Amino acid sequence: MGRMVSTFFNGVINENPTLRLVIGMCPVLAVTTAVVNGFWMGVAVIFVLTASNILISLLRNVTPAQVRIPFFIVVIATFTTIADLVLAAFQPDIHATLGLFIPLIVVNCIILGRAEAVASRNTVPLSIMDGLGMGTGFTLALIILASIREILGAGTWFGLPVMPEGFEPAVVMILPPGAFVSLGFLLGAMNLITARLSNRPMGSKSQSSGSAGQKLEG
Amino acid sequence: MEEKKAMPSLEKLVVASSPHIRAGETVDRLMWQVIIALLPATAVSVYFFGMRSLCLIITGVVTAVLTEALVEKSLSREVTIADGSAALTGLLLAFNVPANAPWWMVAVGSAFAIAVVKQVFGGLGANFVNPALASRAFLLAAWPTHMTGQLPLPLDTMTGATPLAILDGTASGTLPTYLDLFIGNVSGVLGETSALALLVGAAYLLWQKVIDWRIPAGFIGTVALLTWMFGGRDGLFTGDPLYHVLAGGLILGAFFMATDYVTSPITSRGRLIFGIGCGFITVLIRLWGGYPEGVSYSILLMNLVVPFLARWTQPRVYGTARARV
Amino acid sequence: MEFIAIIVGGIFINNYIFSRFLGLCPFLGVSKQIETASGMGMAVVFVMALASAVTWLIQHFILVPLELEYMQTVAFILVIASLVQFVEMVIMKVSPELYQALGIYLPLITTNCAVLGVAILNVTEDYGFLAAVVNGTASALGWTLAILLFAGIRERWVFNDIPASMQGFPIALVSTGLMSIAFFGFQGLFRGILF
Repeated sequence: MGRMVSTFFNGVINENPTLRLVIGMCPVLAVTTAVVNGFWMGVAVIFVLTASNILISLLRNVTPAQVRIPFFIVVIATFTTIADLVLAAFQPDIHATLGLFIPLIVVNCIILGRAEAVASRNTVPLSIMDGLGMGTGFTLALIILASIREILGAGTWFGLPVMPEGFEPAVVMILPPGAFVSLGFLLGAMNLITARLSNRPMGSKSQSSGSAGQKLEG
Repeated sequence: MEEKKAMPSLEKLVVASSPHIRAGETVDRLMWQVIIALLPATAVSVYFFGMRSLCLIITGVVTAVLTEALVEKSLSREVTIADGSAALTGLLLAFNVPANAPWWMVAVGSAFAIAVVKQVFGGLGANFVNPALASRAFLLAAWPTHMTGQLPLPLDTMTGATPLAILDGTASGTLPTYLDLFIGNVSGVLGETSALALLVGAAYLLWQKVIDWRIPAGFIGTVALLTWMFGGRDGLFTGDPLYHVLAGGLILGAFFMATDYVTSPITSRGRLIFGIGCGFITVLIRLWGGYPEGVSYSILLMNLVVPFLARWTQPRVYGTARARV
Repeated sequence: MEFIAIIVGGIFINNYIFSRFLGLCPFLGVSKQIETASGMGMAVVFVMALASAVTWLIQHFILVPLELEYMQTVAFILVIASLVQFVEMVIMKVSPELYQALGIYLPLITTNCAVLGVAILNVTEDYGFLAAVVNGTASALGWTLAILLFAGIRERWVFNDIPASMQGFPIALVSTGLMSIAFFGFQGLFRGILF
């Protein structure tokens, strides 16, 4: 049981796909114009990630090694299509806002990466926890970034006004430059916090953002 | 060289890309000379736009210097505010906002220019775009209503459209005369209006050999030529090049911002190409773009090309590998 | 005129990196040197043009007639993945030099979301066949322009004294943000003339 819990929190904190591994960045930057968009994107990714982890883990002993990558892609694409259609049916506004980035979940390297690294080698329960953990970590990162951008760029949080009367929102924060710069400083802050916590000398290349470079293929 | 010890990042800059900084010409002197050269324009700005102008300029300079000191302190680095570069950035940023801009916006812009555009990359000599201009573009995207539209008129409490906006057709109003444009009796951001005051400063910088003629000449020449060719409503070669040169931020940009050592090429040919490129993009934006003025975007965009200009125009020594810039 | 609008739009105004957020992983990953960035750029142009053509044909001659539009994502990603494999084999046979230049980048392209992105955008924009190919090529050229400029800037960092916690991805993202501010200059370009 302890292993299940630690697998979950590994995805949320230690190996947070967005803030620690820095993979799958396109949707992170694109959909965080408002917290509500980030939230639904996160839900869609949790669903696709967990569902494909389950199926891949179930079939891990009958999947021939040579065709496993195409097989993973088909599985992920199928669940992405399901997520796409369900969102279109029940949250049409959100579906329209997220637009292109829902079908693009299929090329999100987090999902293919977890299929290859975890689901194809581990039991179903563990794969579920991994999918939920990674997905939650992704969602959390989206919500943090979207909160920064929405509060500064629109003066609201989840659509509710949160800033004092005289505050003039900086529109640039919900535009592309705001996305890049805020995420850059968010990652910088994460590095600073982890360095402080672990008391390691900062800037050593063995650290998260340095080692993440190798995983950055997609 | 005492200077080198004081600024570790500068030492690397000298090796990498700045052979023009010779012994005896320290960065301090260069930066303060640019500030001196901007004093006439500062005076004219205060004369035409009043105390508001002075307050904004002081806000810009003080915030920039404070931000530089705070960031360097918090990173446990040498505090380099005495070199004048932060003050210059603050001054140039204030020059790029209208007199009715709120003071907090100038403060945010100055802090952004120093902290995000410059210090994060390692301080003086490490930024790849001009801090004041990047910050101006940031402010324009953040609070467009404070940066454009009706700007204060000189010697008046009224507001009016800038000459370029009138020329562009995005605003109505009567075009000011050439004389008004030349002395600066027009609407616009703080530092750009008076061609005369800016040219006095520019002449000083050219005389002191602080700046090279190639960037401003290429820049202004290209703008004049292209606006003459395409700027008219009655066909080719009916444009008004003089108007396009005097109106807007061209003179301020060409002499004081495009020539920034850190973000412009070092070779003579590279500088000429840089200036021409700035002129080309400026005209593209002024005549066919989404904004009435394109000087600051053109310099920012050409800043991005500088590493390539350095590569292409670098004289290569035979038998050696291409130097990595 | 439509094609010119697509080209200007794809390269400058709706640049895949600076305004659409597509293809960021290779943009951040393969931009440490100008040489590798230009190799990746060439490979992306090649694949995106080809993928635009092939996915357009799939969409209009298979998915639409059979009313299988909901299979778009599955069909497109499979086509792109096999296309990249196929291109890799053909180049290896036909031109070993080209393979040397592009080979190592090709496998990375399958998961480049810009390729699938352009295929889907071609459908949502309702482009004709030629327009789709032009759009694929122009978008890829815009992407290549972005990665080349970024690589040029990045090569200079070697000499910079960047604060420890900002090294790596943080500084790369901040730079991209500043570049996208500069690219705002192209907003509204030729409005009323081309668009």
